[in-house]
Amino acid sequence: MRELSLHILDLLENSIRANASVIWLTIAVYPDKNLLEIFLEDNGFGLGVPAEVATDPFYTTKKGKRIGLGLSLFREAVERADGKLSLEKSRLGGLAVKASMKLNHIDRTPMGDIAATLSSIISTNPQLDISCFLRVGDKEYAVHLAEEARRIGMTGCDGLALARKFSEKMKAVLTEANLNGSL
Amino acid sequence: MEKRIKTPGDLKTIREKVKAEIDVRLGRKEILITVHMGTCGIAAGARDILSCLMEELHKASIDYVTLKQSGCLGLCDKEPMMTLTDKDGKEFVYGKLDKNRIHEIVVGHVAGGKPVSEYLVK
Repeated sequence: MRELSLHILDLLENSIRANASVIWLTIAVYPDKNLLEIFLEDNGFGLGVPAEVATDPFYTTKKGKRIGLGLSLFREAVERADGKLSLEKSRLGGLAVKASMKLNHIDRTPMGDIAATLSSIISTNPQLDISCFLRVGDKEYAVHLAEEARRIGMTGCDGLALARKFSEKMKAVLTEANLNGSL
Repeated sequence: MEKRIKTPGDLKTIREKVKAEIDVRLGRKEILITVHMGTCGIAAGARDILSCLMEELHKASIDYVTLKQSGCLGLCDKEPMMTLTDKDGKEFVYGKLDKNRIHEIVVGHVAGGKPVSEYLVK
């Protein structure tokens, strides 16, 4: 995949298939430590198999299929940038996918359009409670979908309008954190 | 005086008439568009297709479409794909989508009601 945000979209799709209703995404950038971390946590029904099995490209939970490439491709992208992928139990009760890699590694996949990733998930799943946290050094920024929906007086039924609002807010926060286009 | 209902046929006629009136009052029934976003779909550009679809629907001021996502349909070589379910429940699977095709499908099928047959997956 061309972007880390596309891998994140794939992980979000996994969370939805695991019946998650709450999703926390954290993207942490530490320029001093040359470190980029991505945490994705949900309250779905979790993994059910050891982490090494789940990242095997020939393991899938889907009926009628023999391959499951999502997590194995993400692991490969992370390891290419001298990083590590771990799958743990989340504080929310489901799965926590934790990836850490070198920020300035020449083979690190660019982050890409994270606002587009989140808004595409929201447009099709407006009932989800998604929070996105951006950490740059010691500063933290957060966008909460439920808060944005309340602010514009939406009940979560109009996914398209909600996704557009969330995307605008994400872009504003990315600009404030000075991350727009630089990741 | 209202005609009395004597047979199930009378009841059916009234039902059809009232249903048609309600449909007119509420506007068109919803169309469901499912974008296939498995790993293969995402790698082939499903996210950009969904963003483009959102943009086109917004531009055309269409508010009777519900968007949904689903996993892989099993035709990975035809990705990015979407399934349009019309108001009668009939499904149309479109494949190898790009921005131009999305525009034509929104104008022709979603707004115009005519399937764009050359982009349908056979």
